[in-house]
Amino acid sequence: MPHFFSNKRLIILLVSIIILVALIGFSMKKRESLTLPEQFLKDSAGLTQTIFYKPANTIAGFFENLAEMKQLYKENQMLKARLDEYAKLYVQYEEVKKTNETLKAQLDKEEDLTDFKVREATVIGRSPDQWNQFIYINKGEKDGIKPKMAVISPQGFIGKVTNVSLFQSTVQLISDNDRTNRFSAIVQGEKNIFGTIEGYDAKKQALLFKKIPVDAKIKKGQKVITSGLGDVFPPNLLIGEVVDIEPDEVGLTQTAYLKPSADLYDIDHVMVLEREMPAVDESLREKEEE
Amino acid sequence: MKKILLPFLIYLAFISESSLVQAFLPHENSMDWQLIPRFSMVMILFVAIYLNTTYGLLYGLAFGLLTDLLYTDIIGVYLFSMAATAYITSVFSRYLFGNLIVTLLLSIVGVSILEFFVYGLNSLIGISNQMIDVFLYKRLLPTLILNGLFAILIYYPFVKQLNQIKDTLKEN
Repeated sequence: MPHFFSNKRLIILLVSIIILVALIGFSMKKRESLTLPEQFLKDSAGLTQTIFYKPANTIAGFFENLAEMKQLYKENQMLKARLDEYAKLYVQYEEVKKTNETLKAQLDKEEDLTDFKVREATVIGRSPDQWNQFIYINKGEKDGIKPKMAVISPQGFIGKVTNVSLFQSTVQLISDNDRTNRFSAIVQGEKNIFGTIEGYDAKKQALLFKKIPVDAKIKKGQKVITSGLGDVFPPNLLIGEVVDIEPDEVGLTQTAYLKPSADLYDIDHVMVLEREMPAVDESLREKEEE
Repeated sequence: MKKILLPFLIYLAFISESSLVQAFLPHENSMDWQLIPRFSMVMILFVAIYLNTTYGLLYGLAFGLLTDLLYTDIIGVYLFSMAATAYITSVFSRYLFGNLIVTLLLSIVGVSILEFFVYGLNSLIGISNQMIDVFLYKRLLPTLILNGLFAILIYYPFVKQLNQIKDTLKEN
């Protein structure tokens, strides 16, 4: 029986652990752009994924349809009830839109912070181990997608673009627990209450909304939206609904648990938003740095 | 043609992992199980058991690096874990006779070694905040069942293929 740890093997093991630590250290700092070989790898894998996802989606869709058939009647009843509500809301919306337009015209204001350009994309894959919550979309640099753009599904905000290669890009979902995956949000109400979204609690299946002032009064069921303050994401994107509130460990702030409004597990089509008006003038920022 | 067949097959399994999770992932509120396909790892374990240790180690390194680059943000976790898993499993397999049951057992052991490595490393870095009991029941158990089924499914065709490759290796 050979020794499991001969001298040579022990040295190889130690060296590989050192290399492992070095590699992790190197890749943990946030990189803005990918190196060329990485881009090439991602593009070629994206191509094969595109071939794969279509048949997989068709088969999955068939099973989903079977499951949905059972609830169809109930859903139909509910939707009919909703339809009346919709007609009422639509009239209101048209009215508000018209008022808004006339008011804007009076102010001579053409561009708005809330304006953004929308690009649609299809999801071609997802990170298979669920430690990392990434999805891959079939639009890349050649379609004008850049890192840090906000990504939404029809139900609400789901994440941001982290890196882009020529034909595909990676989207980090809001449920990813990476320590750099944080952004500011507000609780909608009479007074805006600010906080930051910091990761996901897998046990409660809820997003963690932290750093809320201790005296802020939040009720269950209140909606949380992006604040647009980080000059990265557009404001007013729906993130989720408060389901639980609890004081922090030290008692200086509160933590709220949010149920994400978008289903973060069943995403097929997404929209990538680009802010049209930069929040801060670039020339101003350069002066500041000097 | 025969030379690229093996890497091509493993690559197919590797890509299908991501599509499968995207298309078939159980919805949030159904069973709350995390089924993680580790199909490329299972195939690499077969290579490590039926061809030789060096091949297993090399494939483990190559596909570990691919997993790191394509599916995660951090380079090194899978590179180390997959190569180490392939090596450890092939050392085990030297003392065992290769048949369906033993191979199934070895792939289950291999996949759990990989899961523990990745869980440990990710907890160290702070990517995972799962408790150990949740990890064992909600993640490891379903994952082992899924990958065990995959191992049984590919056993006969894939081992036949590997034996053919071994014969051609001997001739050269």
